[in-house]
Amino acid sequence: MSNANIIDKHRQAYQEEAREVLVELESSLLELNERPDDGELVGRVFRSMHTIKGSGAMFGFDEVASFTHHLETAFDEVREGRLTVTSKLVDLSLEAVDLIKRMLDEPDGASGAENTIADGILVRLRELTGITDNKLSETPPSSTPPQLSSKEGQIQDWMIRFAPGPDLMRNGTNPLLLLRELRQLGDARVTANMTAIPPLSELDPECCYVSWEIQLTTTECREAIRDVFMFVEDCCELTVDLIAVESPSPVELTTKAFEEQRRNPGRREHDKPDSASSIRVPAAKLDQFVNLVGELVTVQARLVEIAAGRDDPEVLEVSEEIERLTTALRENSMSIRMLPIRATFERFRRLVHDLARDLHKNVELTIEGADTELDKTVIDQLNDPLMHLIRNSMDHGIESPEARVAAGKPPTATIHLSARHSGANVLIGVTDDGRGIDADAVRARAVQNGLVAAEVQLTEAEVFSFILMPGFSTAKQVTDVSGRGVGMDVVNQRVEALRGRIDIASKFGSGTRVTLRLPLTMAIIDGLLVRVGQDFFVLPLANTLECIELTRQDIEKANGNHVAHIRGEMIPYIRLRDFFDIDTNRPEREQIMIAETEDGRYGFVVDEVLGDHQTVIKSLGRLYRQVQFVSGATILGNGTVALILDPHRLVQEVIRGSVRSPRGHPNSTAAASCGKEGLFSKSP
Amino acid sequence: MPATVEDRENLSLVRLEGAIDIASAAELKSVLVSVLASKKEIRLTLEGITELDITALQLLYAAERDASKAGFPFLLTGSVSNEISAAVTDAGLVKLLIQQ
Repeated sequence: MSNANIIDKHRQAYQEEAREVLVELESSLLELNERPDDGELVGRVFRSMHTIKGSGAMFGFDEVASFTHHLETAFDEVREGRLTVTSKLVDLSLEAVDLIKRMLDEPDGASGAENTIADGILVRLRELTGITDNKLSETPPSSTPPQLSSKEGQIQDWMIRFAPGPDLMRNGTNPLLLLRELRQLGDARVTANMTAIPPLSELDPECCYVSWEIQLTTTECREAIRDVFMFVEDCCELTVDLIAVESPSPVELTTKAFEEQRRNPGRREHDKPDSASSIRVPAAKLDQFVNLVGELVTVQARLVEIAAGRDDPEVLEVSEEIERLTTALRENSMSIRMLPIRATFERFRRLVHDLARDLHKNVELTIEGADTELDKTVIDQLNDPLMHLIRNSMDHGIESPEARVAAGKPPTATIHLSARHSGANVLIGVTDDGRGIDADAVRARAVQNGLVAAEVQLTEAEVFSFILMPGFSTAKQVTDVSGRGVGMDVVNQRVEALRGRIDIASKFGSGTRVTLRLPLTMAIIDGLLVRVGQDFFVLPLANTLECIELTRQDIEKANGNHVAHIRGEMIPYIRLRDFFDIDTNRPEREQIMIAETEDGRYGFVVDEVLGDHQTVIKSLGRLYRQVQFVSGATILGNGTVALILDPHRLVQEVIRGSVRSPRGHPNSTAAASCGKEGLFSKSP
Repeated sequence: MPATVEDRENLSLVRLEGAIDIASAAELKSVLVSVLASKKEIRLTLEGITELDITALQLLYAAERDASKAGFPFLLTGSVSNEISAAVTDAGLVKLLIQQ
């Protein structure tokens, strides 16, 4: 690997880590705004700044390091009790965090414009803290990357003596990481020399007293060993001496390599399991991995089908074993992509803080269920919808402190972000205790816009669903924050693209709750494969409760009504044959699958239930985007396509009476237009 | 770094939690200095510690050496997480744990 490549790799790793630390720093600053006397929080802020500064200097982000150093100095004063935390200091620090983020994004360090902003922030910091120029301008030491040249050679024994300077750790370097890196070059025997450690009372806790002697057996050359210490050579004593050369003949070398390979098949020295507890993998690689697992699931389904068609116990056994492994692999790969929603939620603390300041409102953000895990692809696309919802809430929902007090509410409003699992879905809630939505005003606007006739009776949920339509806004005044009517329909589109949906509940005067219902994962689901005539469908297993037989006698017993009597309970059902207008003969005995939907239990009548099916979800493309009761399609082992149904949507479409048979079946149309009672009243 | 010290008749029990690094080193030092001053056996549990760096390890080493010179035991107790074990191994300081 070339010198430039090594430096680039380290710089990239630093950028990634610094962005994570900045998120934490932002969150700590916002908390500090609420609890300015919390010493633990001040410590957290200081530590974050220290990390950004120290590693920044190491990896050549000198502007970042130098700028952060000034901030760190200010918070050191806070830590020492010489400076108090004010909301002005927090705001200025947040501005600085934004600037550091931008500096990190610049490929060649900070631009002129950023340096000007940085200077402006530092001037204000001096004014605010009263810290002298001298103190602020004590710049941290930066490192100069040495020249590299590395080539692999024979096995050699090296003696490395590494004595960190007293300030090495204060500059943000962790010698343990250097030792760890060294171990990756070969077989290292590390001996720590503790003799320089003074008695406890005289010990400076931030100073490094330990030095090390490392005997390293490696094929790497001197330069490669020194590379490990390339960023700290200025602040340590380092000697790298050759103590022995083992010069095996080419044959010996091959034998040795072979022996090593035999002992550790597929493993290299630096792949020791204890070398790191986690690794960083680019998201694209992970997506590729999950896609491949998806393909494997499809091929495995084909194998099951082929095996079932042959009377060969051996093939069947192999097929079952592969099925078991594929299931485990699928679950494993999906779990790798699951991430807690915490980082997304925490990011909104800043939004709420800034908007509250701009809108002169007092708002507290509370978070619940931040550890709830969701597929990374879902999380990635949640940010914008949630931001729109919070902006809406802050702008329209939450009243000014005066108005709140006048309405008998506490002056500080609350926005509550929550996440929890519900079956195969995750429910993300944004709740505020603001003024709520005036259902009458929404309805009046809908009538005015010609979306609904004035005389039509609508439930509250139906009225609120107008808010999700394009261009619909009841805001009297357009503001910078929201009110242009372009927010909620975009939110709706995004959520629907994730196969999710939005529910709005609101009590005028008391607050609003918007719930996003999202699937846990985007790629693979457990489904139940069913057949109607020659067509195949998949229903999500998570919704399915049971399958029972539906005979002609049962239908007659119900007087032709589409209702099944199951253990004393009357369960309405939808016959997929009629719904999709499948023109084949109905079998004598049908199967009814009972599923739990949000409107209660419903049955779905099919010809045959073929069994469970791991389903790789394929998107249906633009043409079918409006067909909401189909969440996607899957390719079966024999190459045919099965539609994946969304039971809840299907029931909703039928209840709303808005569904039309895809092929214009007169019965479906007529039944659907009669609403629930109409549909379920008579068997065709 | 939350630290609790339980004072018993002949014994001080110290419990540390979370990550102990350069930012909490000063705090760890003051905890250790105060328990050493009581001149009793010290038992420090490593169980709640998630991360240790060199600053922490050298403080523990110094405390152990000072206690031993003063003639009372300083014991590191509790099970050690993989992270701590890796840190101690990487630093070549396994003896710090073994001696206990």
